[in-house]
Amino acid sequence: MPLVRAGEVASTVGAVDAATVILVLVVVVALAFDFTNGFHDTANAMATSIATHALPPKAAVTLSAVLNLVGAFLSVEVALTVTNAVVRIQEPDGAPSPDLVQDGGEGLLLIVLTGLVGAIVWNLLTWLLGLPSSSSHALFGGLVGATVAGLGWGAVHWTGDGGDPDGILGKVVIPAVASPVIAGVVAATGTWFVYRVTVGLATRSTERGFRWGQIGSASLVSLAHGTNDAQKTMGVITLALIASGHWTSTTSIPLWVKVCCALAIALGTYLGGWRIIRTLGKGLIDIAPPQGMAAETASAATILVSSHLGLPLSTTQVTTGSVLGAGIGRPGATVRWRVAGRMGVAWLITMPAAGLVGAATWFLAHVLGGGVLGAAAVVLVLVALSGALYVRSRRDSVHAGNVNDEWQEPARERRPATAGGVR
Amino acid sequence: MLATETGMLGQVLLVSLVLGAGLPVLFGLGLRATAWGAGGDAEEHAAGVAPRPHPLGRVLGILCFALALAGVVLGITVVVASGLGYEVSLGGGPLLVEKS
Repeated sequence: MPLVRAGEVASTVGAVDAATVILVLVVVVALAFDFTNGFHDTANAMATSIATHALPPKAAVTLSAVLNLVGAFLSVEVALTVTNAVVRIQEPDGAPSPDLVQDGGEGLLLIVLTGLVGAIVWNLLTWLLGLPSSSSHALFGGLVGATVAGLGWGAVHWTGDGGDPDGILGKVVIPAVASPVIAGVVAATGTWFVYRVTVGLATRSTERGFRWGQIGSASLVSLAHGTNDAQKTMGVITLALIASGHWTSTTSIPLWVKVCCALAIALGTYLGGWRIIRTLGKGLIDIAPPQGMAAETASAATILVSSHLGLPLSTTQVTTGSVLGAGIGRPGATVRWRVAGRMGVAWLITMPAAGLVGAATWFLAHVLGGGVLGAAAVVLVLVALSGALYVRSRRDSVHAGNVNDEWQEPARERRPATAGGVR
Repeated sequence: MLATETGMLGQVLLVSLVLGAGLPVLFGLGLRATAWGAGGDAEEHAAGVAPRPHPLGRVLGILCFALALAGVVLGITVVVASGLGYEVSLGGGPLLVEKS
């Protein structure tokens, strides 16, 4: 039903209030974010299986997409309080702060919209550079930037209150530092032991086993991803619906929101961020089947255990740590630390960078007087930037056909000298 | 406050280590046992004398794979159950408990 309303809005802009128009933009942009989330994170589950030829590239992304879709539907838990982790624009029960919705929700919608724009732009930029980076951190960064711009530094939620880990410190900084270390230790230990216990076995007697081991563990990562990540977008959209008065419950999510989010993340996963898959599968280490299995099992275990114990770690950072760990754990393997270093830098600047874009677009909307004009301008900026990044990516396209080509370091030397501008 | 988080991280590391490193090792042991069970050229051996098959190896192999599979099923149960509002409890009593 609300979908139909959205359609009507487009044709009768003049007749409906501004908040509804902005709401439609927020929903569309949130789904776009969900799409980049899936797109960015295909690599986490499938890069190793693709690199070791356990699965053909297309089959791998299809499997991952289906499991993400299933996972998204399995998550009935309401992630309505997702923004509470880093900013104060919601009450503890998930309802928007009352003073932010007095204007019909426009102020809050604008913050959410520009925050999402910051997250998408950062996701696309890191994709262009082939760097895995956390979509959740990008979302948090964008929201923090937009909130600081709109409400000031006081509205930022820095630390928890001594109970559960919370705030930027507990939800972003500590997990970011801990994820790769924990996953790396687990994967390195697993890899080292797997090589020890299978030493001296003929390849043909291990090949099939490791193949299935990889497929199974990678599937588990995909499923966990669907349950964790799709929820965040569902929460953001529902928050926007409540703020603009189109939904009242703080304990449930409209079915159409769930369906749209599940489809968006699955579609993104299916299209596959091949550039990131390539970096994670070929760039960090030359991955062998036992390493692939150890890395994905370590990832799946770390992700599930951490979210079960109430300190969810970023899927992206866990997987990257696992792949590195699998390189360290195999005697004689080389790890390309330069590539790992680039990723580390990307992680460090994810929040500030997404935050800057979020803040800048908020100011742009603000200068234009907020409202429909400001929101529309922000969306236009997003479309223009995304288009530019996409066009740039066509110059050295990475796809299912060349994702497994030999890694050349530094890859940038193959490109024309003029290509430096984007970087 | 940092103490809480350090404690939680230690817990995450410990449990992940048992499951995340344990399962692949179990799986590797399964492969090892199966190869020993199959005999012949499945394992490296001195030229000329191919090792005999050992039925026990096959049994051990299947046991290892079954345990590893049980670990994965447990993982999926945790994902699905927490999605449906249940918690998996391994401390005895019912396996699935409604979240408080």
